[in-house]
Amino acid sequence: MVGEERSGTSFVSTFLEILSPSYLLFPALLGTAILGLVCPLIGSYLILRRTVFLGLTLPQIAAAGVSFTFWLQQTGFLPQWQQGERGIGMIGSLLFTFLGMGLLGYLEQRRKGIAEGRLAAAYALAGALTILFIVFNPAGQIEVLNLLKGEVIGLSKGELRLLATVFGLVLVGMLLFRREFLLTSFDRDLAFLLKGQQIIWDVLLYLLAGVSIAFGVIMAGPLLLFGFLVLPALAARPLVNNMSSFLWLSSILGLAMALFGFYSSVRLDLPLGPTDVTLGCCLIFLAYALRRISPKRALGLIVLSSFAVWTYGCGTSTAPLPEAKALNNQTLWVAKVKNSTGLSLLLPATNPLRSLAEMAGKISSDYRQSVMDLLRDDLRRELEQRGFRVTLPEQTDARFPAFPADPGNAVRLAREGNLSGLIFVSEIWRWEADSRQFVRVFADFKIVRTDDGSVLWERRIQRAVSTPSATNLGQAYTDSVKEVVRDLFAG
Amino acid sequence: MDRLYGAHLGAVRQLEGMELGHDIDEIQSARGRASKDDSLPLVSLQNASLGYDSEPVLQNVDLTIYAGDLIGLAGPNGSGKTTLFRAILGLLPILSGALSRNCPLSNFGYVPQSAALDPQFPLSTAEVVEMGAYGRVRSYKFFPTEERKQIGKVLDQVGLRHLAGRSFFSLSGGQKQRILIARALMVKPKIMILDEPLSGVDEDSRKSISELLVRLARQNGLAIFFSSHDIPMVRRVADRLLRVDEGRIWWEKKGVELHS
Repeated sequence: MVGEERSGTSFVSTFLEILSPSYLLFPALLGTAILGLVCPLIGSYLILRRTVFLGLTLPQIAAAGVSFTFWLQQTGFLPQWQQGERGIGMIGSLLFTFLGMGLLGYLEQRRKGIAEGRLAAAYALAGALTILFIVFNPAGQIEVLNLLKGEVIGLSKGELRLLATVFGLVLVGMLLFRREFLLTSFDRDLAFLLKGQQIIWDVLLYLLAGVSIAFGVIMAGPLLLFGFLVLPALAARPLVNNMSSFLWLSSILGLAMALFGFYSSVRLDLPLGPTDVTLGCCLIFLAYALRRISPKRALGLIVLSSFAVWTYGCGTSTAPLPEAKALNNQTLWVAKVKNSTGLSLLLPATNPLRSLAEMAGKISSDYRQSVMDLLRDDLRRELEQRGFRVTLPEQTDARFPAFPADPGNAVRLAREGNLSGLIFVSEIWRWEADSRQFVRVFADFKIVRTDDGSVLWERRIQRAVSTPSATNLGQAYTDSVKEVVRDLFAG
Repeated sequence: MDRLYGAHLGAVRQLEGMELGHDIDEIQSARGRASKDDSLPLVSLQNASLGYDSEPVLQNVDLTIYAGDLIGLAGPNGSGKTTLFRAILGLLPILSGALSRNCPLSNFGYVPQSAALDPQFPLSTAEVVEMGAYGRVRSYKFFPTEERKQIGKVLDQVGLRHLAGRSFFSLSGGQKQRILIARALMVKPKIMILDEPLSGVDEDSRKSISELLVRLARQNGLAIFFSSHDIPMVRRVADRLLRVDEGRIWWEKKGVELHS
């Protein structure tokens, strides 16, 4: 799950914000876009050569390589590497990919069994080995699983540079030798007559595919990579009748899949890989639907839809926080923040003695501050500075619980407690500190009128908040709260 | 050495022509050609044995092809026509005997059966024809303008320039064959080998393809070697007819069959 979204912000503004280089997850977006642009070129040939299962099997083999090297490292056979998790994973990924390709190529030459059977068996074996190596390595299970899930979101700038370099070279190779790849794929006899031994071009094509898959798996995970390899090309196929259009349209659809998948992941708070793959499958259905109508109508439909999305997207905007005067200086009850994450969100204890006592069960954890406390304090302070007459519900009755963001329930609670005026309700759905220096936040904020339950103002914060200076979890929580409150009242 | 070998083969061919009872005009035309082309055959097979995995499909094959020849290869399905073609094109190593070519493989225009090509590929007819020039164009270069013009010329030759932008696999069987002939012409060949160019096409297309083959042999001086299982049709089109069946190959001349 990635990114940032505010309820009420337009499609266009959120999309443009994502595309901005200053956007926190811009490296991740760029990485996904690179994969989306280049992978379909390779996938096109895999599809045309009817070796599409190779695109499924090789990423799984690469994933087995990743978990294998982590297991070796955990058992002490491999030293800890300064380049980090991805570096060591990349070695395993490359090694296994090329070993797998070599073995599959050898069996193909020897014509042992049927081709699909070999690929299916290799896929099953690689999947099983991936799980077994993870099970053997309980210490690094979460890290390995995260890597295999394809945490593109955690791409650092250095990793992005590496990704861009590798995929840039692959792109150059695909463009440079496109004629040879086409000829050897389409008519091997003619390729032999005109270019000599076609094995050179086969090897080169599979080398480029292998490098892309090995690097792509470690950066994006097998699912997303397989999606980028085949789905854009499958979507492009029914729409074109020549090879050059097929290649560039595959690339463009891959890029669109990457960008809109990223946007959807941000907007809907969904994991990136499955979102992209689902979007890619939708593109295939859309392509076949468009093929049924004439090209002119299809083009018109696309232009019309784009215009509608743009118009609708620009039409909605974020409503600003009303002025205190406009609300006739009514009392604003700032309710306790509701925690719907299922986690305690407590800040770590700073006093070691108290921590020990808490661990021993001598004292409860109530003395520790939580994200909810910090958030309400900051909200209250900010609202007071803006001239609101802020009161806390506990001041009238200490038994007041946290209010949910649902206006109906919030108003019901307020009426039961005889509160009148306005209530500021907040509900946290996610507040997760990521090891890579940011906190993922998903929270709703509303001002509700107690008389009629109408919502005067609302905003949803759904973003990855950067906490670069945080050295521990407590600091990350504190910094993220400040950033969220600043963001909430900005503009 | 080549010159000596060529002279020898030239003599053999003249003898072969007389043995087979070719028309005097044809022999004369062959003589004229021999003086012009150094009498070197483009392809020569001597006592060759052809097959797969050491299993011979055709044995004792003797064959020479000269520039301007229009040779038909007729025989039932599975008799070894494609095997012979593949051996000539170097796609299949010969099991025994001798094979010599006096022009590089890139001068061979090969027209496969259109059904053998995968319709999964989104290819326009122009792109299919363009492939014929891939042997000349370097990987890192843009496709040259002269070659683009050449695509138009060869499409004109087969009379299908208006279909340049159409999807190759949406064409009729006859149109596909003519496009594949255009692709072979794009190679700028000295010899064209066509595998069943008249199968799966309608009568009009058969006629136009036959006329095209004759024209290419007569006007362009190309050696044309094509196969078909339709023996009467091959007799009508080809100057010489090579029959193949049950592992044997022999020349036929107007109803007279002679073993080579």
